[in-house]
Amino acid sequence: MNLALLCQVIVTGACLSAIYVLVALGFTLLFGIMRVVNFAHGEFAMLGGFALYYLYGQYGIPWLIAVPLSAVIVAFGSLVLERLVFRWFYQKMFQSMIGLMGLSMAIMYLGVIVWDSYERNIPPAFTNVLQIRDVIIPVDRVVVAGIALATLTAFYLFMKFTKYGLAMRAAAQDLEIAEAQGIGALAMYKLAFLIAIAMAAMAGALYGQIYALSPFMGERPLMMAFIVVVLGGMGSIPGAALGGLILGFSESFLGTFYGASVCTFVSFAVVILLLIFRPWGLLGIPE
Amino acid sequence: MTSEPATMTRSAEKPRKAARLTIGLAIAGGVAVVLIWPFVVTDLFVQHLVTLLMLYSIGAMSVHLIVRCGHVSLGQAAFMGIAAYTSVLLVMKLHVPWILAAGAGVLAASVTGLIIGPIILRLAGKYFVLVTFMFGEIIRLVFVEWISLTGGANGVSDIPPPAQMFLSSLNYYYLVLAAAILMIGLAVMIMRSQIGRTIDAMREGELLAQCVGVPTVRLKVIVYTIACGMIGVQGVLQAHFLRYIEPLTFGILDSLNLVVMNVIGGMTRLPGPILGAFFIVGLPELLRQYVLYQRVIFGIILIVVMAFLPGGIAEVGARLYGVYRKRWSR
Repeated sequence: MNLALLCQVIVTGACLSAIYVLVALGFTLLFGIMRVVNFAHGEFAMLGGFALYYLYGQYGIPWLIAVPLSAVIVAFGSLVLERLVFRWFYQKMFQSMIGLMGLSMAIMYLGVIVWDSYERNIPPAFTNVLQIRDVIIPVDRVVVAGIALATLTAFYLFMKFTKYGLAMRAAAQDLEIAEAQGIGALAMYKLAFLIAIAMAAMAGALYGQIYALSPFMGERPLMMAFIVVVLGGMGSIPGAALGGLILGFSESFLGTFYGASVCTFVSFAVVILLLIFRPWGLLGIPE
Repeated sequence: MTSEPATMTRSAEKPRKAARLTIGLAIAGGVAVVLIWPFVVTDLFVQHLVTLLMLYSIGAMSVHLIVRCGHVSLGQAAFMGIAAYTSVLLVMKLHVPWILAAGAGVLAASVTGLIIGPIILRLAGKYFVLVTFMFGEIIRLVFVEWISLTGGANGVSDIPPPAQMFLSSLNYYYLVLAAAILMIGLAVMIMRSQIGRTIDAMREGELLAQCVGVPTVRLKVIVYTIACGMIGVQGVLQAHFLRYIEPLTFGILDSLNLVVMNVIGGMTRLPGPILGAFFIVGLPELLRQYVLYQRVIFGIILIVVMAFLPGGIAEVGARLYGVYRKRWSR
């Protein structure tokens, strides 16, 4: 194995991990705080992708502004769904699973009606490559990894050092005690919802730009969020980060050397084994 | 279906008998209708549709049995696939007589259930959902990747019918009908027996059931094995009916559909899955022109049912029946 290939694998891995962590963090946040299994998470990623498509591809807003802007637009737009749909499912794990599958179906096929089912492309923001001797690295992947990293850092700082972050962590740990301390549950729910959806939308925008954009693109991010969250432990925030790193790098590595199907088999088999022997995941807490 | 407490007074005995009579009459009437209607309506499309409906009510019943144990399986279509592929490949590659191949298919599905059951049925609710989901995807990937045996993503076409006489869709309808009545009868017998009550007790309070001596895991494995064999029956009959199978038919969407049938129909009542199957299989066929809108409407129905009506259509029916009976007896 030469150095060039190794570098490529690492860059792809970092880029994939960054996207997976973004999707999975929101998923695990919703689960941890509201006990909602958001099967529609991939659809919010899809909406993020389409938001970037319009903002950057059609209206020509500078890329670095368009990406966070599309995340914010999707997140605030989704507050309507929070009021109409999500609010009925808070703290109801089983009902939420099936109800939100319904939401996923509704959004996906509304997307098909509005945008048709063909795949489209968001014009690339960076086409040049970085070349250090014989190591070739596409710039866009590095930028994607960088943006995701910046978002994750902001999220970490928010959770760790602000009052609201502290309140949210408290609510995730034990809602009743948090409420007894004067933390408003509904406000926390809304805040967590906004953050989770914004991260999913951003991940979807980045994912849609690297790969392709279609109303059905949400399925893969959802599947990945699942695997990542199960790996790390459902509801555990550091677990989601660790799981995303493991999955992203192993997918990049296995996918490069053994092909995509081997990679899927291995990741599913590992997750099944983990679920059987350690269902609370790598960093979760057993119930 | 009836969940009256055991400490019922004598005066309540009479309406209960009347209710039994009504239910018995309804079942007899239903059986008569499903037997006779093909002679009244001779439209081939309707026959095809009703045959599919019967097939799916077997599958929905299978998921229902698992749901009654307190688990939601999102991988049930994989067992359908195992049975279908086993039967089809035995018939087409080894020229085994259909009835043996079909038996082998059903056996393969239930043995798979028996093998993985003891491992996965110990898991708590959400983990069970995830594991069955992953398991279903793995099985589907096996169908796609094992090209030399399964034909890969192209599937297997030109599957022979069980016998020459079953080329007629009317005859096939009666074959499927017999199977559906047998399977649904089996499920009804299980759920209305002592075992059924134990299962309900186990779902409502697993720890409590264990304390009074119910071997919960063993009971769940037995029910799971039966349910997997049951959906195998659907898989085998469906493969030889549609005469074409492909991995996509046994993926997550179909597993999900089976769960949705239970949710919409009602998860705690026996008629639920059958009502749900009618709803999910029948409605799309009747609304063919609006395929896309119909999915959106389905999604919204799912949300509404889960948010406001966890008991599904069956609960609405039961409530209406209750209102009607109150008025009647007054």
